[in-house]
Amino acid sequence: MSSAKAKMREKKMRNQPASVQYPSCSQVENGGRGEDHHVSEGGQSDALPSSKRQRTPSDRSGWVRGHQKDGGGYAREMPKYITGGAFARARAAEVNAMLKAVTKTTGSSQVFASLPRHMRRRAMSHNTKRLPRRLRDLANRMREKSLQAGPKKKKEPAKGKSRKARRRHGNLLLEFNRRQRKNIWLETHIWHAKRFHMVKKWGYCLGERPTDKCYRPCYRAMSSHCLLQDLSYYCCIELKGEEDELLAALSQLTCKEAGPTFAAAVSLSGGRQGSVTVYRAGQYPSQPLGPVSYLWRPRTPGETHRQLWIWAHPTLKQDLLPELQSVCRCSEAVAPPVEPEVSNPEADHVTVAEPKPGNKGKPGAKRKRSCKDAGEPPPKKIVGDGTRLPSTPVTWKSSSTGIVINDLTMEILRYRLIGPQSHSVLAETLEAATVCDGSMKEQEPLLWWPQHCKDQSNMDLLQQQTDVFNLLKGVCSTGELPPGTVLGLTVDDPRLTLPKRKVKAVPSVNQSQEADEEKRSELKLRGVPQACWDSLLWEQSVRDNVTDNKISEKDLNCMRSELLVPGSRLSPTPPQGRVPILLVHQPGKQVGDELNSWGAGWDLLLPKGWGMAFWIPLVYRGVRVAGLHMSLKHSQNKAAPHFPHDYPDCPAGARFQEEQEAELLDRFKRRPPAKRANYIKHGCLAPFRCPWQQLAEEWELLMREEGAEGKGDEQSAAKTDVVTEEVASQQNTAPTYRPSCFYILRNRRSLRLLSGWCRPTTSKGQRPCRGAAEAPPLTPAAVTSFCSAHRMSLVWVRLTLLSKGKPEPHAMVCAPTAEDLKLFGKKLLSSGPQEPPHKDHLKCRIKSKKKSSKEAATSLPPSDEREVSDITPASDPNPSKDPHSSSGLVLGVWPDPLPSVTSHCSRVTLGWVTQGDFSLSVGCGEALGFVSISGLLDTLLKQPVEHRGKLLLRNPSSLHYRWVKLNIDV
Amino acid sequence: MTEPRNPGMSAIPQNNPTQTETSAQAVEMDPVEYTLRKRLPRKLPKRRNDVYVNMKTDFRAQLARCQKLLEGGGHREICVHGLGLAINRAINIALQLQASSQGALQLAANTSTVELIDDLEPEDPDEAGEPMTRTRNNSAIHIKVFYPVPQ
Repeated sequence: MSSAKAKMREKKMRNQPASVQYPSCSQVENGGRGEDHHVSEGGQSDALPSSKRQRTPSDRSGWVRGHQKDGGGYAREMPKYITGGAFARARAAEVNAMLKAVTKTTGSSQVFASLPRHMRRRAMSHNTKRLPRRLRDLANRMREKSLQAGPKKKKEPAKGKSRKARRRHGNLLLEFNRRQRKNIWLETHIWHAKRFHMVKKWGYCLGERPTDKCYRPCYRAMSSHCLLQDLSYYCCIELKGEEDELLAALSQLTCKEAGPTFAAAVSLSGGRQGSVTVYRAGQYPSQPLGPVSYLWRPRTPGETHRQLWIWAHPTLKQDLLPELQSVCRCSEAVAPPVEPEVSNPEADHVTVAEPKPGNKGKPGAKRKRSCKDAGEPPPKKIVGDGTRLPSTPVTWKSSSTGIVINDLTMEILRYRLIGPQSHSVLAETLEAATVCDGSMKEQEPLLWWPQHCKDQSNMDLLQQQTDVFNLLKGVCSTGELPPGTVLGLTVDDPRLTLPKRKVKAVPSVNQSQEADEEKRSELKLRGVPQACWDSLLWEQSVRDNVTDNKISEKDLNCMRSELLVPGSRLSPTPPQGRVPILLVHQPGKQVGDELNSWGAGWDLLLPKGWGMAFWIPLVYRGVRVAGLHMSLKHSQNKAAPHFPHDYPDCPAGARFQEEQEAELLDRFKRRPPAKRANYIKHGCLAPFRCPWQQLAEEWELLMREEGAEGKGDEQSAAKTDVVTEEVASQQNTAPTYRPSCFYILRNRRSLRLLSGWCRPTTSKGQRPCRGAAEAPPLTPAAVTSFCSAHRMSLVWVRLTLLSKGKPEPHAMVCAPTAEDLKLFGKKLLSSGPQEPPHKDHLKCRIKSKKKSSKEAATSLPPSDEREVSDITPASDPNPSKDPHSSSGLVLGVWPDPLPSVTSHCSRVTLGWVTQGDFSLSVGCGEALGFVSISGLLDTLLKQPVEHRGKLLLRNPSSLHYRWVKLNIDV
Repeated sequence: MTEPRNPGMSAIPQNNPTQTETSAQAVEMDPVEYTLRKRLPRKLPKRRNDVYVNMKTDFRAQLARCQKLLEGGGHREICVHGLGLAINRAINIALQLQASSQGALQLAANTSTVELIDDLEPEDPDEAGEPMTRTRNNSAIHIKVFYPVPQ
């Protein structure tokens, strides 16, 4: 008997009468019931109930339950007589003991544990009034007891300062700075952390979604008002150099076939933001890196020196930066202190007093010192990147090309406003900078604005920009403006015009005059005039000056308190309160025919340090704030691929897929086995990931077999086709990579061709696309040539459900059979075909393994047995116990070498869905995903014309196929 | 309104950038190939009794919305707007409303011209260079459906 058991037993025995003796549990029956046994001799009537009584639940541990096999000691000890008084006393003591045992609760159990489940309420132990009245006294007593006992125990680990001390400003800052060491905080972090579920992703702390329920409000904001997001985690990389050199270097990363490149005339002038998919140098079409958006600084007249900002997702940056360095031959890292333009020294300048705790490694010592040493300046807030070592180079120079690469991560903030009213929010929040009057004394020569004001040409420019900006107030919808327009501006500190309470920004159309109307239509037609593109945000020195000289909230409030009329606007505007900004228009949905320019908006670029100063005024204009979740939904509604989710051929996308699979599998394994979906029975091979590579390979093999069957002559005939020539010319771009790795088709021409093929030519409502006449018809010859050009490629498709149903991620896209299509014509849409349930052959394997493992480890307690079968060896803490599960079997999921993914089910699989949901903008289920080109064309070719582009979709946990319409938007 | 204005082609002013060949392989491209991208029509602030008719929503649903506004919504008048292809449908809705009201409703139609903007994006941005913007005109109809004020 263990010591704990003995203790327990001792506790039990305390209340027992002396006359009743319990033996230790090994010889219970004979000794303990000695007195009973003589009774059983005396009369059966007494013996039976008493022995029953012994078995009532009141008897606890130490007793052997149930009938004993050896029959007990009935025969051994038979007293000759019983004394009435002694017997009664003994019984009375027993009854007492039992009553006591029934009424007394054991130490660990709570009062509400005695309640049935449906009567239990949340937080009962906290608030005893939630209990039924009869139990309240007891609960109160127990609560008091636990309160007495609790604090002593809990106090011990809590050490050091009181809450008050911890919340003191300096200490709080230190604590915040410590927490920023691993993951970068955005400037709006504290604001977000109070309202959002935060996740640590890509080295940042980001808001995933608000804690309140606001999925639909956020959607409504996106489609009718304005939704705000902090995209400051996007990394900006600055390239400086001669225009020719830059273009020559960057042209290796892109290809004209996939759309506009860095050299596109519109964006090269600096008037538009461009976006492009970047590839590894010279590797198009394989080995893409990911999408970036870029912005050229407008030319200064008579100079060929240009400045370019490339905005990339943080996961993309780690791939992109080395590639850029190699392309530009920028291998020489410039040590931060040497180069005055480098961002980091200036970051140090801001945080100079705060000796970056992360880099020194002794935060404890630091804190003490800063507390003791009053002379030392107080800790400063980290502005910018707190995780980077100050010695890490952020600038690279090339001696041969003269290009300078600057890593401006966290130097420039980016806020995204999505929605048709985002320009009115901006127009209401921001006010063009007021000019400094000449009477301003020269007491602050450091400030840039008074200096800047002296030059009349600058003032003219500002006036021009202000005029354009004021025009925005009269524009009704953001989608009316030319996509990608850039507007530079200098604005006043928006904190000065903060409204008293939240207001909703609306466009002011009625007050617009005729003259403005003319200008406005000019703006819509031609975009922002060229002079207004430039902003001082491009200047490193101005940015730093603005960041350093920001008025703190406290000083601002002091100045406000000295105003004569409380609540009036501070005037004149303090000279520090001018900020250069850049407004970049974001085009909305540009592909497809429906919902044009849905989700258009503006990006607001700010110098660092000013984050909260702009955030709060924006929020006060009635915008809704969303997190990462909504940005995914935004791109889903736009039918645009979202990085890194929908870029499986990019390294970042592949990494994301692995992470996602691990997470989903983990979540799956946390469910009890009986409650899990058996994906094997559903015929779903890969419920947590999409094996694109296998899919592409299998389809390639299938097509080759088909081609070998007897189309040799046809292929040769196809070669002469004009279309074929066109397509085949693209074939020679990168033949070496084709067999090795799948890639996603981004060639615009091919996509357009494919898009034309996918839509039915006769169906009503589908107007033929422009240039449909010149597009070649879908013939076997054209298909073969197309396939041979893009053998291992996938294509991004949008699938709209024709009936009900909500597609889920990783749902299968399948090709319908001829019978299905026939039925489709006859029956109502709602009923698609069913997949016959599959058999789980692996189940018995798992079971037998379970059995064998049970035999192997009989000593295991029964509760552990269940887990043994679930644990894969990868996560198995003690694999020695379970040597048989070598293949990592999880019940209901196929083990790793998957069988053929295409022909596993009754319908041939073409691809998978990466994003799927009920689309609020369309009003039905909509899915986005990839399908294999060879498979798709093969299917299309077999389908009759009126049903062309109709496919089947099946969720991983369902057997029901749903009809979908395939669209390829270009 | 009678005669559509000449579509004013206007290119964005550009000073010609120095072109560089981005890729070695020169795919022969049609130099005058553009992608047409229509921008949204100018949107005006919407009152509660404005109904904008489109071609995507079911006709019956749009009719029912109008009827609801007139009967349940307590509006004495509503405005039905249609642009381009939807003009037909707007007229149809207005007439249906009138017919179903047994003559209680009256109509007053106005027509107008709406200026629309198209973006023409060059297929090959480096060669052709200049994205174009053009305006074109489209007709619109605004039908006031109202209960006449009793004299």
